[in-house]
Amino acid sequence: MKALSVQNVEVNYYTIKEDNINRKIFKRVKNKKFTALSNISFDIKKGSVVGIVGPNGSGKSTLLKTIANIFAPDKGKIELYGNKVNLLSLGTGFDPELNGYENIFLSGLLLGFSKKFIEDKLEEIIAFSELGEFIYNPIKTYSSGMYSKLAFSIMAILDADILLIDEVLSVGDIHFKEKSYNKILELIKDKKRTVLIVSHTTSTIEELCDEVIWIDNGHIKEIGKTDKVLKNYRDFMKTLKNNYNNN
Amino acid sequence: MLKIISEIKKYFPYILYSTKSKLKSEVAGSYLNSLWWIINPLCMMLIYMFVVVVVFKSQEPNFPIFVFVGLTLWDYFNRIISSSAKLIKGNRNIINKVYIPKYILLIINSFVMLFKFFISLIIIFIFILIFKIHISLKILFFIPIVIVLYLFTFGAGMIIMHFGVYMGDLHNIIRILLRFIFYFSGVFYNLELRVPSPYNKILLTFNPIASLINEARNVLINNINPNFLLLLIWGVISLILTAIGFKLIRKYENSYSKVMS
Repeated sequence: MKALSVQNVEVNYYTIKEDNINRKIFKRVKNKKFTALSNISFDIKKGSVVGIVGPNGSGKSTLLKTIANIFAPDKGKIELYGNKVNLLSLGTGFDPELNGYENIFLSGLLLGFSKKFIEDKLEEIIAFSELGEFIYNPIKTYSSGMYSKLAFSIMAILDADILLIDEVLSVGDIHFKEKSYNKILELIKDKKRTVLIVSHTTSTIEELCDEVIWIDNGHIKEIGKTDKVLKNYRDFMKTLKNNYNNN
Repeated sequence: MLKIISEIKKYFPYILYSTKSKLKSEVAGSYLNSLWWIINPLCMMLIYMFVVVVVFKSQEPNFPIFVFVGLTLWDYFNRIISSSAKLIKGNRNIINKVYIPKYILLIINSFVMLFKFFISLIIIFIFILIFKIHISLKILFFIPIVIVLYLFTFGAGMIIMHFGVYMGDLHNIIRILLRFIFYFSGVFYNLELRVPSPYNKILLTFNPIASLINEARNVLINNINPNFLLLLIWGVISLILTAIGFKLIRKYENSYSKVMS
């Protein structure tokens, strides 16, 4: 069963971000088009874990943002088959003046969860964050560690059918780092969930993913079983590095 | 149209919670806390009263309320329009992280201002009682006036919000325009009496804010029926603006993030 289908997607950026009368009238500079993704098509089965690899600037993050509907594709279509999709990010919609408890609701409602659902998960989130009584303090008084603990707990416990992960992250002190990393692994390995992971750490991809999509310069270079694609990708990166060193 | 209603329904809990949060965080950390929502407009009212009665020795009856009604309507319009051009950029944290219909942000903003508007309104009614202004059922005609004000502001706000993403200086243009409109809306003076004919009639017909303020004063203080035809025309124009705004935003909202990131 398909959970996600990406069909002929193209995404363009324009290099001049804002129009400016100087540029438009006096210098006659035209907005340059930059194609971040072109002709991207693939299907993802329900419950599978798919890694996306590629060098910096190849369009990996753009692809995730397009699937999350933060960008609209300039061409092509993304079919979600009614699944709820969530791009994992820390502290979405937080208001620093409010306390942790209120921010759980603010962030959760923004992500499209019902009040009832958040109330049900509330205890779990607070427990996971280890904030205790601090949950009733304004988050502007939090240390950066406390802030990321809360943000992580919300992110990890309010989850969706399709998870988009831009670099597997773990936050906080050593103890919480391990705990949060394990939580992410638990989310990824859950068979009901479909996961897309972008990572530069090929060992992480190797460990977690069934399939890998290799993107280069906005095109799909290879797509298939993890071992095969990763082997080719590593070889490719090695020659790239050698060429660079020789020059 | 149906899609918009279902989206608003879906995000309504967020709209309410975010409105509450915004109001709360404005006064968070202050000693008097939520009392500020009342103290602020009340002090404004008292200051205007002092200026009008003591400094300018105005003889016009009920002039402080006259001014405060104008100011309450103007404030609502002014605050929403002046913040619209930067609304998307100010929320880039949300927009770059999760999909949300962008007009939801304007709805939240309008609800925050509406709350303050209603508090000012309560103060107006208290002063109407104190000054023993004759009240009749005509006061009910204030409701359609508020609806037209809301729709006009919302529609114009959406259009400004859209173009604000692409034009960095729209914010400055809007601020200058608002100054201009302010002086031609009769917030502090009686437009009908102080501006020579026929310019007063022209302003009261073609400047929606001047006409809405004038109608509001008529129904609240002067006990006169509003100009229903004018109200209807501005109501229809507001609906058209709102429709254009929704169309613009729904068509382009998914490229806002690209322009900003």
